[in-house]
Amino acid sequence: MASATTSRFSRSALIKLAVGLVLVGGLFAVPRYVSSPYALHIMILIFLSTIMGESWNILGGYTGQYSVGHAAYFGVGAYTTVMLMQFRQVPPWIGVWAGIAAVLVVALIIGSICFRLRGPYFVLASIAVAEIMRLSATNLDKFTKGAEGILATEIPVFIIGEHVVTDFLTKVPFYYIGLSLALLTIAVTWAVQHSKLGYYFQAIREDQDAAHSLGINIPLYKNIGLAISATLTALAGSFYAIYVGFVDPSTVLSLDLSVQIVLVCIIGGIGTIYGPVVGALALVPLSEALRSNAIAEGLFKSGIVDPASATGTFLKENLAHAHVLIYGILVVLVILFMPEGLLGFLRKLGARLKQGRA
Amino acid sequence: MAILEISHVSKFFGGLAANSDVSFTMEAGMIMGLIGPNGAGKTTLFNCITGYYPPSKGEIIFKGRRMNGLQPDKVCKLGMVRTWQKVRPLAKLSVVDNVMVGALCRTNSLKVARAIALEQIEVVGLSHKTDFLAGSLPIGERKKLEVARVLATKPELLLLDEVMGGLNPAESEEIVRLILDIKARGVSQMVIEHDMKTIMRISDRIVVLNSGEKLTEGSPEEVVHNQAVIDAYLGESHA
Ligand SMILES: Nc1ncnc2c1ncn2[C@@H]1O[C@H](COP(=O)(O)OP(=O)(O)O)[C@@H](O)[C@H]1O
Ligand SMILES: [Mg+2]
Repeated sequence: MASATTSRFSRSALIKLAVGLVLVGGLFAVPRYVSSPYALHIMILIFLSTIMGESWNILGGYTGQYSVGHAAYFGVGAYTTVMLMQFRQVPPWIGVWAGIAAVLVVALIIGSICFRLRGPYFVLASIAVAEIMRLSATNLDKFTKGAEGILATEIPVFIIGEHVVTDFLTKVPFYYIGLSLALLTIAVTWAVQHSKLGYYFQAIREDQDAAHSLGINIPLYKNIGLAISATLTALAGSFYAIYVGFVDPSTVLSLDLSVQIVLVCIIGGIGTIYGPVVGALALVPLSEALRSNAIAEGLFKSGIVDPASATGTFLKENLAHAHVLIYGILVVLVILFMPEGLLGFLRKLGARLKQGRA
Repeated sequence: MAILEISHVSKFFGGLAANSDVSFTMEAGMIMGLIGPNGAGKTTLFNCITGYYPPSKGEIIFKGRRMNGLQPDKVCKLGMVRTWQKVRPLAKLSVVDNVMVGALCRTNSLKVARAIALEQIEVVGLSHKTDFLAGSLPIGERKKLEVARVLATKPELLLLDEVMGGLNPAESEEIVRLILDIKARGVSQMVIEHDMKTIMRISDRIVVLNSGEKLTEGSPEEVVHNQAVIDAYLGESHA
């Protein structure tokens, strides 16, 4: 019996591996067949959200420390990379390491302050520290150009030896970088979950006092969780900055961004390897559809609403502006009715379907 | 050899002395019973001993080493670990994962930790629940899980805080056997228990606390015939 279960286990693991490889292979092939810059743009945004969500998940989902200040790491990574590139001609693939180093310093300072606090106090402290970073970037305009932001005009060509790898003029190189970073964060999460770290993180999340009594050095492991999480978030920030070519405090250091990062996880499924992927797949298209008024267009095209009617005019004029509101309502609905996120919901649905068939 | 020496330990919460000048010594390999009415300061003493807060006064010496100011995780690494009166399962982890967290105190390998965990789960009789979520267990099994988890840290001294509280007689009896079994493996234990009959049966020695102070100390026979103890208990709930 034992051998039957092990062989079934390894077969399902093999199937999962095969499906994963095919998916990843397919994703790497996409730019060969898809030339629409908009489609690639959406994919890049999904990768970016995945990277941010997976990064936050290590600290928030696994370790249970609900940081609502991750924009600090994102922003410091983004600023460092762009400033080095623009003002010091340091190529971003080198600048990003400086960004990570800067973020680690910030993370250790934040950790030493905030990890003394628990629960809602930790949340508030994390918001406060990120706001301090935003205000600093706004006011230290000698270094950061303040609220005006920094336009990156000088992305250098990436050359290895004589060979020009990419000049960053199309979306394709960004697609591959985004995909690779997303896979990297998923791999890191997988490795964490399958190691002593993952056990210790989850123990701290479930019950800090119990974890402490069982030999877990709480500040040490919280800081390790934060360091991993912040490093990956800095990668996301650097990637974003080079892709968009512009950083300013109100985007890369905003509370809005911090909340977005958390939502990717909560909507997808917190504390799971693939939850943030699901969250990104759901939220990016949703937000794009709302922003571009695709919903109103859809209603008109399908003939449900006449664009010339009073309702049509109303929708045309207001739906796009209301996108934040609609987005918020949908998010609240998911949180209320799917406490384990979309991934948890899909899993339950799958289990029920299987049961129904059996 | 003394494994634990408590000397003149006091713990104040504001004006309240939860522990007041408590001293006693515990020999290795024994079961020390710690009894006293509700609010006597038993759990507070455990908290002081295991590093949850430093005692306001006095010293705690474990294996000849001064423990004051050491954090609970260091205390655990040194071989002293406690269970919780109000159980603290890692609810969203399975039973085996809970116990593995304890085992990881002595190893970095998940494989080794899993083997240790399965062994301790068997010791406490939870093998049929290995893959259940800890949060889904009834109270009796949660208490067993607490014990398996601390055993997995390979302690020399176990501090058990009312592991029989809220259990039915059959379940309590299982825990009694478990405690005696742990003693047979050479692990020292300090046991807080409310039920006098049980504590008399399992303890080699008993310390009685009342209103934060040590009322008396002695063998079970001595304690049960002590007039002050009888008064303290009759004054409360002993029927
Ligand atoms: N953290 C605390 N803050 C304030 N008072 C406390 C705290 N912990 C315990 N006490 C008080 O100390 C006394 C002893 O409590 P405790 O040690 O839990 O007793 P026991 O475990 O013997 O029932 C009680 O009066 C309790 O209210
Ligand atoms: Mg108590």
